[in-house]
Amino acid sequence: MKSLHPLTWWLWSIALIVTVIRANSALYAALVIAGAAFIVWRWAGNFPWSKSFWFSLRLGIFILIVRAVTGVLIGVPIPGTKIVELPILPLPDWMAGIRIGGVVTQERLISSLQEGLIIVSVIALFGAAVSLTSPHKMLRVLPVIVYEFGVAIVIATSSLPQLVASYSRIKRARVLRGDEKPKFKSIALPLLEEALAKSLDLAAAMDSRGYGVSRVRSRYRPIMWRTADTAVFSSGLFLLGLVWSVTA
Amino acid sequence: MIKFSNVSLVYPTSTQTILEGLSFSIEEGEMVLVIGSTGTGKSSLLRLINGLVPHHTGGILAGDVTVDGISTQLVRPGELAHLIGIVGQNPSSGFVTDTVEEELVFSMESLNVAPEAMRKRVEEILDLLALAPLRNRAISTLSGGEQQRLAIGSALVMHPKILVLDEPTSALDPIAAEEVLSIIHRLVHDLSLTVVIAEHRLERVIGFADRIIHIAGDGQAQIDLPEKILKSSAIAPPIVHLSRALKLDQVGLSVRDVRRMTEDVRRDGKDNPLVEKVLTSTAISVKGAAISYGAHTALKNVDALVMEGEIVALMGRNGAGKSSLLQSIVGVKELDRGEISVFAHPPMSLKGALRRATVGYIPQEPSDLLYAQSVAQECAQADKDNEITSGATYSLLQELVPSISPATHPRDLSEGQRLALALAVVLSAQPRALILDEPTRGLDYQSKSLLIEILKNFAAQPGKSVVIATHDVELVAELADRVIFLSEGEVVADGPTLDILLASPAFAPQVAKVMAPRRWLTVNDVMRSLDQETGLQ
Repeated sequence: MKSLHPLTWWLWSIALIVTVIRANSALYAALVIAGAAFIVWRWAGNFPWSKSFWFSLRLGIFILIVRAVTGVLIGVPIPGTKIVELPILPLPDWMAGIRIGGVVTQERLISSLQEGLIIVSVIALFGAAVSLTSPHKMLRVLPVIVYEFGVAIVIATSSLPQLVASYSRIKRARVLRGDEKPKFKSIALPLLEEALAKSLDLAAAMDSRGYGVSRVRSRYRPIMWRTADTAVFSSGLFLLGLVWSVTA
Repeated sequence: MIKFSNVSLVYPTSTQTILEGLSFSIEEGEMVLVIGSTGTGKSSLLRLINGLVPHHTGGILAGDVTVDGISTQLVRPGELAHLIGIVGQNPSSGFVTDTVEEELVFSMESLNVAPEAMRKRVEEILDLLALAPLRNRAISTLSGGEQQRLAIGSALVMHPKILVLDEPTSALDPIAAEEVLSIIHRLVHDLSLTVVIAEHRLERVIGFADRIIHIAGDGQAQIDLPEKILKSSAIAPPIVHLSRALKLDQVGLSVRDVRRMTEDVRRDGKDNPLVEKVLTSTAISVKGAAISYGAHTALKNVDALVMEGEIVALMGRNGAGKSSLLQSIVGVKELDRGEISVFAHPPMSLKGALRRATVGYIPQEPSDLLYAQSVAQECAQADKDNEITSGATYSLLQELVPSISPATHPRDLSEGQRLALALAVVLSAQPRALILDEPTRGLDYQSKSLLIEILKNFAAQPGKSVVIATHDVELVAELADRVIFLSEGEVVADGPTLDILLASPAFAPQVAKVMAPRRWLTVNDVMRSLDQETGLQ
């Protein structure tokens, strides 16, 4: 597949985020997550940033669990079918109105999970846009004002995968020294040192290659908006229109 | 083109003067080689040329550096980008984009070059450096040699007047190094490009250099013709050591020159008797080893044996599977098929003390093994791990390199010293097999001969063996008993060093090229054969 315009997936995912919030339905949110997962799995390729989606999904699930647990434990229970009754934690007088523990109802659990799922889908859509777009290409279509962030973006996107590679290399070397469970500190120090040295190298390289010297930047290949971009973007718009008319 | 007037340099938080009162000028179309031991300031000198030092590093610069009439004090390094192309020691840490084409145009886009001009220049560079088949490839999938060519290409695409290269061949196999250097040589002649190049392995570059800057290490530096500098310098390629040992009238710099001067040696020298090492039993055996990463096969069906008392060198082009084989021997990489035993242990099962006592491994970056805050702590940790008398590791280190202060942070050691520390830590466990991955990368000649001595002494103890993966032909000639040659994951040759190295000119050491068809690899070999003669008379 020819690479799309760097803004396409971002516009698409913003449209979808709006639909998810508007629809306010767990089923729809789950469908969107599944759809995004399929698209990322199929088209993200094998770049350092392609893994962002799976990372964002994990982050989302973590948030979902934390939310569900706190939502059930703290606050006013919604009346309904009782699942389990927990002892109520005695709280001092000045915390009146807050309750920890008590009756856990099915309704309360389901409503927390539903809200959580919508948050997960927003995070996942954001992750999908990151996964599907090269940050370096993105840099080129952004206006000159954010240009200063360029160095930071390039260093961040190239040092993260480097960090992962160095981590496994150093850990392996430690194992070979007969140190099966190396302490965190003993790996973190050399790792940070190396990451810092590499980032400085990269910044020096960008500097000596004329980065940021000219305010105007030319483009070797014009970044074109093609039919495929229109198709992806209009699919997002179509969903947006559909959800809007259904929920209106 | 480049003019240093009375340049002195001191880094912040350091009391040592890197350069002092240095003045020289480099003309257009000159190729100048910068030599010096590690840590003497070669990289600093190179980075002074485009102002990265001190603009990027800090430090006090006295005197003035001008490039094509522009003083580097007045402009930022980026504003010299159209004039100077600079390629750092480790090209992979300087890449800014994802694909080959994007990397090539990065500088031009930054400087707002017109798209038509860019397109023309990119095609030129793709052809010149034979990068055309790679143009749409992701940079992370390129081999070391390809990355080096790309880094040079991205510098050349700006049509700079000056190209600055910091150890451009240290990660490359002999053939890839030859390719890169001959391209640069051609540019000097065709386009009158000015090239400043720092390199440890003089044997690779000496033939191309017009002048040499020799940095002594105490801030002093001299610049002169190669013949003059190399007449007395301690840093010299094997061919110069040969000229000195044979007491030739002139220092020959090319194989051709020295061959002309040594006809009598080739005629009169006697063959050295073959020293047969007594090999007792198998130390390491590899049977039918195969590893693949996805679609890429790293090793296919490799069989190899290493005997006790042997030093075996593993050679081959970049990406031939050397590191994969070493890693499976030391037991960090599982084989897909086949089996390996190291002193009758399957290496994957080795743990803790037994591992340390069986196999010692020095990775490509020796600093991976080190994590303490000082040399003394590092040695104490090794003493504790191996339950040996405290101070034993440090005294071992003292034997290897006498001058290291125990309070130094490992990071502040020179490459050679760091390697010695890692070696001391590993050797303190008295392993039976020692495995080294590219140990001479970035090492100067002095550290290299020290390493050779250490490894020879190690292998001379009963029941020890050494396996070393390297591109360094001269190291192999001095050190190895046997060479295993890998190509695309297969063993293509396995035999005595002499036979393997003499079989192909690309992998022959300099002395062997001079002395062909006589079968001598090193200066020592030649001198021994001459001694025999005088002994007989």
